[in-house]
Amino acid sequence: MAAGGVFARRGVRLAAGLVAGALALTGCGSGDESTGDGEKITLTVATFSDFGYEPLVKDYMAAHPNITVKLRVTEFDQHHKQLATRLGAGAGAADIEAVEEGYIPQFRQSKDKFVNLADLGAKDLSQQWLPWKWEQSLADNGNFVMGLGTDMGGLALCYRSDLFKAAGLPVERDAVSALWTGWDEYFAVGDRFIGSGSKAKWFDGVGNIYQAMMNQTPYGYFDTSDTYVGDSNPAVKTAFDKVAAVANKPGMSAKLDPFSQQWNVGFKQGTFATLPCPSWMLGLIKDGSGPDNAGKWDIAKIPGNGGNWGGSFLTVPKQGKHAKESYELAKFLTSPDSEAKIFQSVGSLPSQPETLKNPAVIGFKNEYFSNAPVGEIYAKSGETLQPNYRGTKDADVRPVFGRALARVEQGKQSPADAWTQALTEAGKALGK
Amino acid sequence: MRGRLDRHLTPYLFVAPFFVLFAVFGAYPLLATLWMSLHDWHLINGDAGFIGLANYSELFADPDFWNALVNTLSLFVISTVPQLFIALGLAALLNTKLRGRTFWRAGVLVPNVVSVVAVALVFAQVFGRDFGIVNWLLGLVGLDPVDWPANVWSSHLAIAAIVTWRWTGYNALIYLAAMQAVPSDLYESARLDGASTWKAFWTVTVPMIRPTILFTTVVSTIGGLQLFAEPLLFESKGASTGTGGSDRQYQTITMYLYEKGFTLFDAGSAATIAWVLFLIVAVFALINFAVVRRTVASR
Repeated sequence: MAAGGVFARRGVRLAAGLVAGALALTGCGSGDESTGDGEKITLTVATFSDFGYEPLVKDYMAAHPNITVKLRVTEFDQHHKQLATRLGAGAGAADIEAVEEGYIPQFRQSKDKFVNLADLGAKDLSQQWLPWKWEQSLADNGNFVMGLGTDMGGLALCYRSDLFKAAGLPVERDAVSALWTGWDEYFAVGDRFIGSGSKAKWFDGVGNIYQAMMNQTPYGYFDTSDTYVGDSNPAVKTAFDKVAAVANKPGMSAKLDPFSQQWNVGFKQGTFATLPCPSWMLGLIKDGSGPDNAGKWDIAKIPGNGGNWGGSFLTVPKQGKHAKESYELAKFLTSPDSEAKIFQSVGSLPSQPETLKNPAVIGFKNEYFSNAPVGEIYAKSGETLQPNYRGTKDADVRPVFGRALARVEQGKQSPADAWTQALTEAGKALGK
Repeated sequence: MRGRLDRHLTPYLFVAPFFVLFAVFGAYPLLATLWMSLHDWHLINGDAGFIGLANYSELFADPDFWNALVNTLSLFVISTVPQLFIALGLAALLNTKLRGRTFWRAGVLVPNVVSVVAVALVFAQVFGRDFGIVNWLLGLVGLDPVDWPANVWSSHLAIAAIVTWRWTGYNALIYLAAMQAVPSDLYESARLDGASTWKAFWTVTVPMIRPTILFTTVVSTIGGLQLFAEPLLFESKGASTGTGGSDRQYQTITMYLYEKGFTLFDAGSAATIAWVLFLIVAVFALINFAVVRRTVASR
């Protein structure tokens, strides 16, 4: 009996110790509870690249002495995957989490894990954004506001003017823009470029070109009622065929995966002459090309229509303890004034009509890109662009078609075979 | 009274930490994963209903799973077999009277402690298509450059090179420790019998360290079947989806798990893959165990 008693008591103590340890590990301790006025709180903002928030956050903390803001930056894929697991686990997410447009449909299926910003008055702000940007953040027929829009990705075409000059092509940006209206003409100019005997390839890789084309269509793999149309939408097949036709053509593609290390090396070595570039990509191009190539890049009109590629939203996960304060901070970070400042510091294109008319934005020139009037170029593209609708299962299907083109580019498959395999894989991904 | 109690309890308390940790980080995840694999489970939203063995039948009917299994076995064979032979050779060299022995012995472990991300970055350069060192060397002897990630054989070779580079030194040190326990009089008698160093190595050293060789084989098998970081980092940074190339040419089972669970948010399927992998590893471990028992008994 006595032995049992002692053992039991020890067991209890041991168990209690373990539970306490577990709580400490998972961070369920009683840290900062709800806030009275003036109580000190810390808000964490998690993003996946430089959103240009550092100076803004300093201003915000100066204006709100009781609030400390911490920035947490992770790499793009990692950021979204971590967010998913943290939402699933119910702990660990930041107070404000950036979600990129491409991930919005996936996270919309889990909207219950986010604060409905409409409850905090977000609907009053709806006029602040371009209508399509605002609509992207909605769920439940507009009753649920998932996030506040940050930037967007109006499309343009970046080109190496020195390589153009050597190939006997026009160099000046208006003259370059006049070379094409659609993609067929763009590839025809590519033939001229290749014919000049240039050692560089015409574009970086099929990934970027195809992505740009798809983003110029009103809808791609899913129609606006969310039905899969990847196998029947002529816009998909047309874009696929156009890209597949040049994917393995000598001199056309440098065959580089966007954002890979090899892609960066390609910038530095000047292995390709053009690439579609949303405004947020300018920073990557500049970093990849390095100071030696300053002034060699310039920016022209994208072939085809305007389109949007990328752009994010600031969401507030429900597990955070300071929904209201987080919302206020998100509101500040996405205000027209902040967006204008961000555009000038890191180049993220504002998604708000008022900001796009701001003289500080329109007049802004980018020194690295031959002093191109990036403000004017992108603001114009932003006002006219039509966004691409993304279905709920877009992330399941989109990569399938990208891989198919990569197989053509690598010379492993004919365009027809790659297309057939893509349709099979897409059907499988959707459980058909 | 107290003393007797302590004698009875103390041993249990001493072994308890292992069992507690195993329960929390071993048994619980294992059972939770089994539970998840029997459900339609969304990564974020959680349980969406019990579906029995549907995840399993779906998995076995999925050609991508078999592709990943074949890739895993192929990578395992071409990275583990050369790795263990090289490690054996390295250990034999380190066991001789080298100058600066400690330096060399510590040196072979360096690849293993370098961050795998840094390793991946370096090897991406080494195996780069346009400006990679390997292609440059191939060019010197008049061969065409290889697009390493594009093909099955080339991607497997490149990944095996990374794995071999990382783990050879680690295994060499284990072999070295075993070799130092081989009594030197055995070598003396071998020499008296006129055996060459080469012959002594195969007839004395290798048989004497056989249990260690089998141990490293088991550990390498388990590690090889769970190969993940090296092939994942071989994917380009812009597309780290776990797909393993344009045609899944180097997707391993754990990458397939990653794709299902963390790219497509299908935790139920991911849990199923985890359990099937667990069973595959268990089968391999049992085979290894049987081999160990037989060889030990034969001595």
